[in-house]
This record gives sequence, structure tokens and C-alpha cells, in this order.
Amino acid sequence: MNTLAFLESILTGQLLVSGLVIVLLVHVILGTVAYMIYLERKICAYVQDRIGPNRVGFDFGLPALSFLKGALGLGQPLADGLKLFLKEDYTPTRVDRLMFTLAPAIIIVPALMGFVVIPWGGVWDMPSFTLLGVAVEGGPVHVTGAAINVGVVYLLAIGSLGVYGVTLGGWASNNKYSFLGGLRATAQMISYEIPLGLSLMAVLLVVGSLVPERIVGFQAREGWLMLSQPLAGVLFFVSILAEANRAPFDNAEAEQELVGGYHTEYSSMRWAMYFLAEYAHMITSCAFFTLLFLGGYHLPLVPWLRPEDTSIAGALLKFGVFFGKVVGLICAMMVIRWTIPRLRYDQIMIMAWQVVIPLSLGVVVGTSVAVHLGWTGILPMLAMNGVVLALLLAAQPFLDKGVRTRALPNARIRLYGSRFSPMPGERVVTSPSDPTALEDRPYEGTARMI
Amino acid sequence: MHPGPLAASDLASYLPVGLILLMAVGFAAANIFLSRIIGPSRPGGVVKGQTYESGMNPVGTARKRFNVRFYLIAMVFLVFDVEIVFLYPWAATFPNLSPGTDEGLVWLGRIFFFLFTTVVAYLYGFRKGVFKFD
Repeated sequence: MNTLAFLESILTGQLLVSGLVIVLLVHVILGTVAYMIYLERKICAYVQDRIGPNRVGFDFGLPALSFLKGALGLGQPLADGLKLFLKEDYTPTRVDRLMFTLAPAIIIVPALMGFVVIPWGGVWDMPSFTLLGVAVEGGPVHVTGAAINVGVVYLLAIGSLGVYGVTLGGWASNNKYSFLGGLRATAQMISYEIPLGLSLMAVLLVVGSLVPERIVGFQAREGWLMLSQPLAGVLFFVSILAEANRAPFDNAEAEQELVGGYHTEYSSMRWAMYFLAEYAHMITSCAFFTLLFLGGYHLPLVPWLRPEDTSIAGALLKFGVFFGKVVGLICAMMVIRWTIPRLRYDQIMIMAWQVVIPLSLGVVVGTSVAVHLGWTGILPMLAMNGVVLALLLAAQPFLDKGVRTRALPNARIRLYGSRFSPMPGERVVTSPSDPTALEDRPYEGTARMI
Repeated sequence: MHPGPLAASDLASYLPVGLILLMAVGFAAANIFLSRIIGPSRPGGVVKGQTYESGMNPVGTARKRFNVRFYLIAMVFLVFDVEIVFLYPWAATFPNLSPGTDEGLVWLGRIFFFLFTTVVAYLYGFRKGVFKFD
């Protein structure tokens, strides 16, 4: 009898719903990750005017299933996953073996843990029932992975743990390219964590609560925060792009200069886990953005999508709407990846420290002043955003002076005798004179020869 | 305003976090072990064991000194991160004060002084050239 009483005290409706949501969502998210890779390849193909994956269906080579052949290439993720399992999982001889094995696990665990606090389904008024002889009391429960009251801070904390996997993977590989990629990724991720935290604070200052459910409730009442805090929203989106190492901030794996970056030495599933983690991180970040700025599951004019609705149909619909918004954001991220070229590493860091961080600090200061004065409506907040932006743009010339010494490398470090800085009295010929060179560049050659 | 029973100060609400931690660790471990068991294991010579550095034979190890700028960034990051952590409790409680009161003004002034110390550190780093990347 004692164990039954203990079970009844532990087995609350909230815990049951949380466990169910987690078990379901892990599978939903892993499946989504697999199909996100397919989606990314399709979007890339359409951007580049190709067709993309369209061969692998679900026929498995069986004649009986030949009607499933092709199927838009939807079997591609399954084939890729099976292929990765069947590859040799090789460890090079000079790596740090323990860390080399642990690093992919360290990166994927936080990536899979973040989404539990997202309020996917709002609140459900659960009826009482009996499960295997244990009476479960009904009542309102949160349809979310874990209803903890510091949800937003938990999300931020878990999200920033992803740095360790990247750093360790780069370091343990004992490869100069991996090491450089890991260092760059670390510096970039920790730099963009500051504007992430600060623009999140601009939201918290308006809402006044760390509970995810209340952030959605606030936006359902007062309007989405993307409308009243557009500057913070844009900064947040830029920061999650940089945090997830997505293009145009994917310097950690810039294949033209660093081979594969921190995962150059990895193969088989350990390599795949880096990719799974990147895509899972994208889902979590987009859900975070949706929660903070796009109203979570809320859509105007739909009665089931209000926070006050506690029916099971409402919870399911809320889940669908939330996930739809997340998928839309993910598609936006993918289009960004295939349309905007990669920034140079120094440009990324200069942008972080000289533009994004001062701007987000300004947003926090402006928001706190506006909150103190009671101007929390959409229009006063928009005005505040404009003032902060104008002030920082006005301050830019004064900040720049004497601080930014970005001279051209060739002007700074003189390589005497080169064609850029000839020796005194030396005459430098920059036009080609060799006959083969002239043949290669006929235009340049003929223009200079006259 | 808020229908849910969010008495989350008790540790029971963190039990699902433990569940997802177990699942994530299990997923990672299963992936590593399964690919090691299922995948082939062919013996490799000296060349296969080398790290891949664009086809060159690797010269030395990668455990070398690297640019001091990464340390500087890490240190300035710590300053900002600690500041942000201290700001969260304030940010979550400040809007619950009634606007325009003297009490709110005192809170605002204190936090602005705290922010100001960080801005001074930031400007010092700026003038010292910590944020120059050329």
C-alpha cells in the first residue's frame, strides 16, 4: 500500500503528459531532422535550378512494391541513415581517443534536450482517470515536455552547451584545420550568445515572466512581440543563425578554407551526429524564436488557439500551428543559406562586437526606460526601437574614429619587391609578357601591348 | 489570467528533464555503438591513420600556440555573460512594478549603474583593440 501511495504522489497528471509529450516529440524531432536534410537539398536544388533528390523511393528493390518507386525521393533520408550506419567508424591514430568519441555525444545531448520547455500545446484540462490501479487526478496540465518555471533560462543554458562539443571535436582531432574550425566556432558562438541573451531580455522586460506559457499568453493579449520589438527580433534571429553555425555564419566548416572544419576527421554515425545536432539545434532555435516573437501557438481570430482554451482539440491544433510556424522559419533559414554568401570570419566578429552587441544593449536600455514610463503598447515600443537605431547610427562615426584600423594588408605589411610595393627606383611590370600568359588572357594582353 | 498549476518550485517538475537526458544519452550511445558494431573495420596502415590536411603529410601536431585574440574574446565574453546572468532576475521582476514610481526609478538607476560598469569595460576593450579583427 505504501508504494501505491508513493506512486500516487509522484504520478501526477502533469508528469504523465510531460512524459508522453517527450517520448512523442523525440521521435517527431528526429524524423523532422531527417526530412530537414531532404528539404534542404530540395530547396538548394530549386535555388540552383536543379531537381534535387528524386530517385530513392520506398520500393527497397522489391517488384511487389514497385508502385512506391520514386515517390519524390522521399526515401532519401532513410537510405542516407542506413548508409551512415554501414560506413566504417574510423579513429585516426593520433587523436585523443576518449574526447574524440565523446565530442559527438556531447554536442547531440544538449541539442535534443532543449525543446522540452517549449509550450507546444498550451494548457489541457485533463479528466481524472485510473491507470493500472493508480488514480490520477485530473485538472489543468501543461502540454509540454517539462513545465518548469525558469523555462526560458533553461532553454538558453542548454542551447549554449553546444559549444563544448564543437570545441572538443576540433581539439581532439589533432588536425590543424579541425582545430582552427573549432576555435573559430567557439569564438563565434560565445560572441553571439551575448546579443542572444540581451535581446531575450528585451522580451522579458516587456512580459515580466520567465514562464514560456505566460510569454505566449502576453502575446495573445497584447499583440506579437515581433510587432512591438522588431529590432530585438532581428537581432535574435541573427544570433540564432550564428549560434547554430548556419550560413552566412558557417565559418566553422568553411569547406573552401578548412576542409570540413571541426568534423573533418569524423566518419560514420559520429560524423552524422554533428549534423543531427545542427538540425535539431535549428528546430529548437526556431521554436524559441516563435515562442518569443511570433506568438507561440497563437493565431489571431482562431478561438481554439487562445491560451484560455483548454480542450484536447485545442491542444492538438496549437501543437500543429506551433510546429507549422517552426517549419516556416526553418525554410526561411534554408533559403537564407542558399542565397546569401558566407561572411568572412573577421567580418562576423566585427559585426558581433561592434554592431550587434551595442545595438542589443541599446535595445535593453531603451526597453527598460519605456517600461518604467509605462509605454508598453506597440506604437511607443516601435518609436523606442526607432530612437535606439537612430542614436546608434548617429554614434557610429564617433565610435569608428581612431578605433577601427582596418587597413589593407598589403599597405600595412610591405613586401618590398612585390608588385604592390616595388623597391625604390624599381620599375614593375604588371601586365603579362609571357606568350602563354597572353594566350590565356587575350583581352588583358592586347589591351596592354598597344 | 493563467490557468495552469505552475507550482514548479518543487523538484518533481524537473523529472521530465531527467527523462529526456536519459533518452538523449541513450540515443548518442546507441549510435556510437551500433555504427561500431554494424560498420566494417578494415585494417589501416600509416597513411590511413594520418589526419587529413588537404592531402599533405601532416607536419607536427595541432597542439600548438594559437592567436591570443581567442583568449581576449573569451575573457570579454565572461564579463558580459556574468552581467547578463545578473540581469535576468531584474528583467523578470522589473515590469511587475507599477510604472513611473520612485521605487522603479531607484531600480532603474541601480541597473543602469551596473550596465555602465560593463560599458566602461567594453569601451576600454574597444580602445585597446580587442575587437579588431584584421
